Amino acid sequence: MSILLTNETRAIVQGATGRIGQVQVRWMLEYGTRIVAGVTPGQGGATVHGVPVYDNVVEAVEKEGANATVLFVPAPYTKDAVLEAIAAGIRLIVAVPEHVPVHDAMAMRRAAREAGVWLLGPNTPGIISPGIGKLGIMPGNMFRRGRIGIISRSGTLSYEVAGYLNEAGYGESTLIGIGGDPVIGPDIPDILAEFEKDPETEAVVIVGEIGGSAEEEAAPFIARMQKPVVAYIAGRSAPPGRRMGHAGAIIREGQGTVADKTRALSEAGARVAKSIAQVPCLLRDVLKA
Amino acid sequence: MRLLEHQGKEILRRYAIETPQGIVARTPEEAREAASKLGPVVVKVQIPTGGRGKAGGIRPAEDPAQAYERASELLGSTIRGFNVQSVLIEEKVALKQELYLGLTIDNRRGVSVLMFCPSGGMDIEEVAASHPELVYKLELPAGARLPEYEARGLLRRAGFQGKTLVQLAGVAVRLYQCFVDYDLVVAEINPLGILADGRVVAADCKMEVDDNSLFRHPELGSEKDELQDPLEREAREIGVTYIKLDGDIGIIASGAGLGMNTMDLILEAGHRPANFLETGGGITRELMRRSVLLVAKHEGVRGLLVNLYGGVNPLVAAAEGVVDGVKALSKNLPVVVKALGNQQEEAHAVLEAAGIPVIKTVRTEDAVAALVRQLEGKSA
Repeated sequence: MSILLTNETRAIVQGATGRIGQVQVRWMLEYGTRIVAGVTPGQGGATVHGVPVYDNVVEAVEKEGANATVLFVPAPYTKDAVLEAIAAGIRLIVAVPEHVPVHDAMAMRRAAREAGVWLLGPNTPGIISPGIGKLGIMPGNMFRRGRIGIISRSGTLSYEVAGYLNEAGYGESTLIGIGGDPVIGPDIPDILAEFEKDPETEAVVIVGEIGGSAEEEAAPFIARMQKPVVAYIAGRSAPPGRRMGHAGAIIREGQGTVADKTRALSEAGARVAKSIAQVPCLLRDVLKA
Repeated sequence: MRLLEHQGKEILRRYAIETPQGIVARTPEEAREAASKLGPVVVKVQIPTGGRGKAGGIRPAEDPAQAYERASELLGSTIRGFNVQSVLIEEKVALKQELYLGLTIDNRRGVSVLMFCPSGGMDIEEVAASHPELVYKLELPAGARLPEYEARGLLRRAGFQGKTLVQLAGVAVRLYQCFVDYDLVVAEINPLGILADGRVVAADCKMEVDDNSLFRHPELGSEKDELQDPLEREAREIGVTYIKLDGDIGIIASGAGLGMNTMDLILEAGHRPANFLETGGGITRELMRRSVLLVAKHEGVRGLLVNLYGGVNPLVAAAEGVVDGVKALSKNLPVVVKALGNQQEEAHAVLEAAGIPVIKTVRTEDAVAALVRQLEGKSA
């Protein structure tokens, strides 16, 4: 088992014919992902690496039975693409694009929540269930099938954490990038609840970063969980008030520092690692207990 | 991008929110001329940051001669790190009461929040902390309209009545409209003043436009204008995020989280980052070449750590760009590269052929240690 991206997933790629879309379609297919269609308005009838391309999502749903989508469209078109996918009945939306306007992200989040659809991102590396497939840009060779669930705000950092887990003999059930932007689709507890139910997942690692309060607000849910949670928060050395690339990673006075997040998570019973190297050690501790 | 006060006020007037009369001046002569039309004025520096008053950037002038004097003192000076290029010459208004009206985004919930406080002119965050009961809030989900009656309800709860109640509600509704229309992330009128005759005027205005929405608002110019540091401006041109820091080890990372973690590990190893540079997902050979040269321009930098993942980024092109950059350097700068993901073997081969040390494990601390060994070997 795995969460969200499972053996039932039949995915389309919105923006499959673009420069990045074409490359990513190839990587996702090579990884074994079931990609059933591409969608680019105006390019219906084309194919990308053997995958048929449709003009709109509805056609891809009707003809190919699609139920998930990954987006490689330019930021200005992301909102429209997400709303189209929701209207067509897609259940899992992976919004990879960065630089999406925040008012658009707010509209996307609202529409997804009202429809009960999973929206990851914007600005997410995507989701990977090793051995099943990946919808997103993460390099497949960094992951191994296993029993640890990972939730991350940052793409590159989640690859790094997975690398350390693999080195220590663990692997991942599913890794989910929730998105690095200030307004994103999922709340961390939504995903924790899925991992809590998943029989294959034994423990969850949260990879956070400074800024915002998503990790702190997940604390009450963590306190109620059966499965152990280990967390790592990046950005101890970041200067206050500066944006560190992810719009989300900005510290305002007294909000969202590593210390704030560490305190909230520890009080909820999560183990908080001081470095990524410490994550597998803490996992070993909590899984033994 | 933060708008200047006069830009914000121009937008407010378009939405029928009244402001004191003002004229922008770029020379003392223009300031004198403006004051001759307006009577007693306030000379206000136009810089994209708050706290101007405390920093001496807002000064009254009774007549045109004084306005000339104030403007010549302020123009060209540096206030809160910003070079003053223009001042707003604004008619002096007598406010009977000062209020606060603001809009921002609650990121976690993904909604806009309208905030109103009957005591304005002060830092709203301080008021919210010390007297939360004085801050009246209204949540507005994406796509929501703010009906006048809801705004009136909020202001009624805050104790207003009569004409003022109706006027204030109108201002709140129109400010929310401009918040949405202009893709603002912050819109603040502080103080929002009530004049002796009951009229409501925006005495100050802070607006911040979402940088990611500027493609929809070409008339607002570009974010480039705001960056003061030449290296940060150059980074913008290259298409990377660069933040200048004061340490000795330069960083190029292909993601923000990875970059922050690399900073943390450099500090742990007893060194300090000279910069934060994050490429995002758009790496090309040329972008990497220019990034290496950019990081090397920092006077304090003694070594460079490149930490990359090939997910959306092409690792081979990145490696070639690093090699190009290192070859073009005028000074000797030790470089260590860690690069994993798609195409990692080919990328490693490119780097090793050029004699650049490559770390092939996931351990960024190994890369930091390798670079530190080189640096300390040199200074010994």
